[in-house]
Amino acid sequence: MGESRLATIWSLAAAVTILTAGCGQGLLGGGQEGGDQGPIALGMLVPQSGSEAAVGPYMRNAAQFAVDEINGKGGVLGRKLELKVADDACDAQTAVAGAGKLVTEGVVVSVGGYCSGATLPTLPVFGKAGIPMIIPAANSQELVDQHLGHVFLINGTGTQQAAAAMAWITKQGATKVALMHDNTSYSKDIAVRTKKLLDEPGGPETAILEAVTPKESDYSANITNVLGAKPDFVYWTGYFQEGGLITRQLRQAGYKDAIMVGDGSVSGKLAEIAGPEAAEGVYATMTQTPETLQGAGNWIEAYTKKFGSPPGPYSNQSYDAVRLAAEALKNAGSTDGTKVIAALEAINGFPMFSGPLKFTADHTLSAGGFQILVIRSGRFVLQDALK
Amino acid sequence: MSQLIWNGLFVGSFYALVALGYTMVYGVMKLLNFAHGDLYMLGAFTGFAVLGAAGGVPPGMALPALLGVLVVTMAVTGLAGVALERVAYRPLRAAPRLSLLITAVGASFALEYGMRAVAGAEPRVYPVRLGGSAAEVLGARITVQQIALVVVAVLLMTGLNLLVTRTREGRAMRAIALDPRTSALMGINVDAVISRTFFLGSALAGAAGVMAGAYYGKIDFLMGFLIGLKAFTAAVIGGIGNIPGTMLGGLLLGLLESFGTWWLGGQWRDVFAFGVLILFLTVRPTGLLGERVTERV
Repeated sequence: MGESRLATIWSLAAAVTILTAGCGQGLLGGGQEGGDQGPIALGMLVPQSGSEAAVGPYMRNAAQFAVDEINGKGGVLGRKLELKVADDACDAQTAVAGAGKLVTEGVVVSVGGYCSGATLPTLPVFGKAGIPMIIPAANSQELVDQHLGHVFLINGTGTQQAAAAMAWITKQGATKVALMHDNTSYSKDIAVRTKKLLDEPGGPETAILEAVTPKESDYSANITNVLGAKPDFVYWTGYFQEGGLITRQLRQAGYKDAIMVGDGSVSGKLAEIAGPEAAEGVYATMTQTPETLQGAGNWIEAYTKKFGSPPGPYSNQSYDAVRLAAEALKNAGSTDGTKVIAALEAINGFPMFSGPLKFTADHTLSAGGFQILVIRSGRFVLQDALK
Repeated sequence: MSQLIWNGLFVGSFYALVALGYTMVYGVMKLLNFAHGDLYMLGAFTGFAVLGAAGGVPPGMALPALLGVLVVTMAVTGLAGVALERVAYRPLRAAPRLSLLITAVGASFALEYGMRAVAGAEPRVYPVRLGGSAAEVLGARITVQQIALVVVAVLLMTGLNLLVTRTREGRAMRAIALDPRTSALMGINVDAVISRTFFLGSALAGAAGVMAGAYYGKIDFLMGFLIGLKAFTAAVIGGIGNIPGTMLGGLLLGLLESFGTWWLGGQWRDVFAFGVLILFLTVRPTGLLGERVTERV
């Protein structure tokens, strides 16, 4: 009896040791499970189900494209890269679960994040595990305002997008601007920041700030509200499905002046949903897309050949996020989180689609790179680079 | 003002069509069929597939063509509803109510993500659109297509009401709603009647799906979720299990949303609509016309 009790205590003690050892490994930057010889894992949270599922493949394929390219050149630190993808469904709870899964799988850098509302709660998950995050798409100012050392944004921020919107509104000579958002972190952020700029004395004014419920079909009630305020410019800051419906319903309700949408709405689907007539001439504030990139022809061609479909919104940013992660790992000479973060901060002039990269103190791009696109015959083309 | 009323009535007629299926199924089986909204989605996709298979539609023929598609879709979604009942609900009819409820939630997910596996996550756009230019009527902008859709909805609802109140079939449904066991003793084939109830309810949801697809243009695999919730609300407002009450409930919810948006702004719309719902149910827990419990379907 005494002996068996002793055995129990011993096995318990052993279990505790193993457990703490396991935790320690996780805390010290993870990625040690495969030893120093296995592939280096990069984690990517993107929506693969839910309302924003359509954008997942654009980002995942582009990231895989970069991983394959880097592996083709011998990998990083003498090891191959491996992309681990988890679904965030554009939903906070799913995203946190997905982030936890990626952390246990031992990723060393996170290169995902599309919906700001879903990315926000994953920041502490990766942060506690000491994993640096390079966020390719999500760009709510809330991500920046937490001033977390491990978070880097390579898309323009909400503040920068609002400034670009304001510049174009002023340039168009609009006087009363209606702002419409869908109450998500990303969308509301841009709308409220644009309102702040509009509220400054002089120049155009805010006609109305209207929130809609996403995922519905009928926005006629909201549109009656908006048109009641008699705007001559409407700016929608949410995603493309609602954007298409709102554009169509605005036109059906007899609105004839300018409509502009935010970067979450830049998708060919918006024009399809709105219908070619309603969509013609709709403006958008957007960072570089594959279509508007200068000299990206070869890249687009190679991507299309590999995946059987052309790249879409945030393909280029996701591709750059992986390349940037590889560069930082190489410079750090290690997969240790702290060293990689230091390497990311030290990066100066790394070539990306958005231009040479150097992070600001806030870990954002120094210039948002936002430009104005316009829909011509159902496609977003460059209208004004706002240079 | 008239614009607000028209907006509300138009959206409300969609809610009412979908809500009828909820109410009928609840009436005969006391089951909240949470997969009902997804039959609406299935209807939208069926219509999309039929239109795609038929090839192009000449511009002037949009409305007649859509009516044809409507009939085909109603048959397909109706049968899907029957299959759903047969596979997911009938084996559990003697089981506790909670098991049925959970099965319904499961069926809903199965339909949603099954459709995602088949048709993909990208939203689809209907090849035939009901656009049309608007005419001003009493200060509201109304298109011919909107009127056509509301007329179709009203016809379908009236037809259903006649069927339930005037025919043998309807009498059987009402009998089962009152007491399934006694109905069976009286020689009513309970299983067959429940199947037909599912057929009717699902066909109406399918019709609403096609109409929404053709009018709004965008369909996606999650489109049934929110309208399912709204339709459920409409059914509760009207008195769940009561057909005329449910129709009224749908229209009322549409109007509440429309006026809520106007008075308080878009971000307060749902707070307003559902706040009224809570107040209303504290005063009248049976819903608008819910007191006629004896005439449940």
